[in-house]
Amino acid sequence: MLRTNRAADIEKVFAKYPTKRSAVMPLLYLAQAEYGYCSPEAIREVAELCELDPTEVKSVTGFYTMFNESPTGKVILDVCDDLPCALRGADAFMAHCESRLGIKAGETTADGKFTLRSAMCLAACNRAPLLQANGDYHYDLTPESFDKLIDELGK
Amino acid sequence: MADLINLTIDGVALAVPKGMLIVDAAKTIEKDIPVFCYHPKLKPVGLCRMCLVEVGTPKIDPATKQIVKDEAGATVIAWQPKLTTACTTPVSEGMSVRTQSKPVIDAREDVLEFLLTSHPLDCPVCDKGGECPLQNLTLAHGPAVSRYDYADKQHNDKHAPLGDLMFIDRERCIQCARCIRFQDDIADDHVLQFHNRGRAEEVITFSTPGFDSYFGGNTSDICPVGALTTADFRFKGRPWELKTAASVCGHCAVGCNTALNTRLNTRTGVREIKRVMPRQNEQVNEIWLCDKGRYGHHFTHAANRLTHPLIRKDGALQEATWESALQLISDKLKTVPGQKVVGVIGDRLATEDAWLFGRLMTDVIGAAPAFVSPRTASAYADVARAAGLGADADFKALGKGDVIVVVNGDVEEQAPVWFLRLRQAVVDRGAKLIVAHHRSTKMHRYAAGIARFAPGAAAQWVAGQPAELAALKDARNAVIVFGDEKLSGHNARALAQSLAHALAEAGHADKPNSGLVPLYPHGNTQGVCDAVDPSRGAMPESADVAWLAGVGDPADAPRAGFTIVSELFLTPLAAAADVVLPAAAPAEREGSYTSGDLRAQRFWPAHPAHGESRPDWWAFQEVARRMGKDWSFGGPEAIFAALAAAHPAYNGLSYAGLAAVKPQWPMVGRAEVNFGGTVYDNTAGLGARTARVPVGGAAEAPVEPTLADLTRPEPALYRAGDLIRHSAVLAGRLV
Ligand code: SF4
Ligand code: SF4
Ligand code: FES
Ligand code: FES
Repeated sequence: MLRTNRAADIEKVFAKYPTKRSAVMPLLYLAQAEYGYCSPEAIREVAELCELDPTEVKSVTGFYTMFNESPTGKVILDVCDDLPCALRGADAFMAHCESRLGIKAGETTADGKFTLRSAMCLAACNRAPLLQANGDYHYDLTPESFDKLIDELGK
Repeated sequence: MADLINLTIDGVALAVPKGMLIVDAAKTIEKDIPVFCYHPKLKPVGLCRMCLVEVGTPKIDPATKQIVKDEAGATVIAWQPKLTTACTTPVSEGMSVRTQSKPVIDAREDVLEFLLTSHPLDCPVCDKGGECPLQNLTLAHGPAVSRYDYADKQHNDKHAPLGDLMFIDRERCIQCARCIRFQDDIADDHVLQFHNRGRAEEVITFSTPGFDSYFGGNTSDICPVGALTTADFRFKGRPWELKTAASVCGHCAVGCNTALNTRLNTRTGVREIKRVMPRQNEQVNEIWLCDKGRYGHHFTHAANRLTHPLIRKDGALQEATWESALQLISDKLKTVPGQKVVGVIGDRLATEDAWLFGRLMTDVIGAAPAFVSPRTASAYADVARAAGLGADADFKALGKGDVIVVVNGDVEEQAPVWFLRLRQAVVDRGAKLIVAHHRSTKMHRYAAGIARFAPGAAAQWVAGQPAELAALKDARNAVIVFGDEKLSGHNARALAQSLAHALAEAGHADKPNSGLVPLYPHGNTQGVCDAVDPSRGAMPESADVAWLAGVGDPADAPRAGFTIVSELFLTPLAAAADVVLPAAAPAEREGSYTSGDLRAQRFWPAHPAHGESRPDWWAFQEVARRMGKDWSFGGPEAIFAALAAAHPAYNGLSYAGLAAVKPQWPMVGRAEVNFGGTVYDNTAGLGARTARVPVGGAAEAPVEPTLADLTRPEPALYRAGDLIRHSAVLAGRLV
């Protein structure tokens, strides 16, 4: 339970906001860290903490792509395939990622190591193809450098 | 008038109140600017862009700061280069609006083309078809063919339950957020929200149970497409097959105005209620219904309705003719002394039934005045009548400076639509709310002052002159809503008396928008009590003859040598009776109810009566005639006239008067469903408020609550009663 396992963190978050409902996003991050994703129980817990209806919290996790509503692999790969990146070969790069990992964008490898997702502009268009691995940027990727990255991250 | 603004719309000059939005102003001259997201009962959000119009304002010379005139002396209009949303733009002096120009028509076509990129256009199987804003506007402005690649269409769930009462078709949803805004801003149940964004955006619920709200059905009325359909009505009929009868909900003291939509079942030849829709009455329910009122109609067509009179023969109830049943009753009544007859009438019957029942007991049979069941409510109805709301009272007029006190009542559970309206008076318009109860209710969320007392000690709390009630002194108007939870009749009467006294002390006794509002158990508690002027003492343990008309609670029935029961169903009391008379349901007859805020309202028959069931008043009259009384009332109208002549609260009222209507704002219904939704406009009658009647007698002191009082269950909207348990759709919600 978030309330028992993360009591001190929760206190700290609430201290920063004038009302409980304002704390919904930081608490969702806490919950995501605790459970690995924003599970239905996590959403209900956060709702209770923030004195919101669970539907309102679910709406927040649905709106923001960085809240995961289903379990993910250990490493989340967000590959940008928005228009500027596409002009720099992101589509072909994505195809490579998919074949290397043996999954489609949006899926998780069977060993639970990687989740591959297509992302909207990650604000580094000039260095495409690029991806974020659990939030860390990797720029100017090629099929080869991607394979190397996967070998490293998969260890 | 200083606060009127002059403008022209499509060349028509009009003056409207300051602050009015262009879309509303156009509506006042019956010019419909198409809308999807805008709704006159919701705050504008401007997110669908369907209402785009051209707007111009008088041209001002920058040098002189004067309005520029042309050679003819007419004001020159400076048209804004871009189209403007009529639903978010207030009118201004001299404004000019074009709603039919080429750019406006083009914009409508564009907006519709976008909305239709992924819309299924499955009107032939859509429940909204025939009363759908999107369908209508597509006919008017939509493209004949789609330029969108079929393969690129977004496909979403088509029959997704949002809980047990409501379904969503996600392909039909146009993301107008009317449903979400209703739930957020009016019901204050935040159980619908958007999920995802862009083309993947969809309406979801994540509450337990799903779509957990007492008011969810209203979202189906205001949804501008067929995305939200009720579990009750979906696939049950097409709007154009339905006939409509004006009615009044009898499930609680609010008295919401309804429209009963019926359809002929061609297999059985019986006309059946298919859905209950709100009928606009801005002083009663505005355009809303609660889900109990909307879905609680199935009892009317329940398979186990009584169809024939029953007479006990050889120990068993057997079908009989009306003639034999009425003869048996009158013969029996002629043989027993009047004082040995006890009449009990339920508070669900029409006022006209109650009036004749009362006269039958006292004037024909010579019995004591009838008792009213439930007994608790009948113990204080005369006090509520004396100190009730004034003639022009309207919850919508309550706001800043006014005080609303809720004592011992759970407004949302007991009178749901009053909850919506009182909440808005507090949250939107600044009335001060004080809540006093022994437990928490939803109303507590909005309270400026909260008082607690022990269960059953409401009257004692008032008698102690609590500080919270001091707010009454400075109030412009004061409305006190009270309930009888955990109270005996005696204590409930003491509570009503002390609250009436508190109102009078603070100077609110004769004010038009002040008074006591009781949370009665049913829709005609006040009317029945007015009409029979009930006995309030202890009920005799036994009687020679008892006549129980619509009595639900066996505790309200005396033991009797011979029992007559008038009922819809073979209830336990009916099953034990000697004669059972099948009563026509409210939807099968005419009559009137008087609401908890003292409004008398008529209802009309929607379909013929089930089997041989008859209106109760008819049976009462037939018995009276057989006992030598020359009653010949032709129907409820004549009975109401007799009541109005005799009862000071109803003096001057008539059926014709109750059927009067006057223009209401917002203008909804008519031939148009975009603006207000599928709510019906009120052409049948707005009813009329009945008058206060002073009550004598000294205030009674409350006594300690008994164990029986304290163990009575809390009021709950879906407490299973004789009627709503016939609505299978509500099965999951009954408590
Ligand atoms: S379900 Fe209906 S009311 Fe709700 S957002 Fe969709 S179209 Fe609008
Ligand atoms: S609020 Fe009361 S009168 Fe209105 S629909 Fe609900 S039960 Fe009926
Ligand atoms: S489009 Fe890919 S980073 Fe901007
Ligand atoms: S933007 Fe005006 S009605 Fe939707």
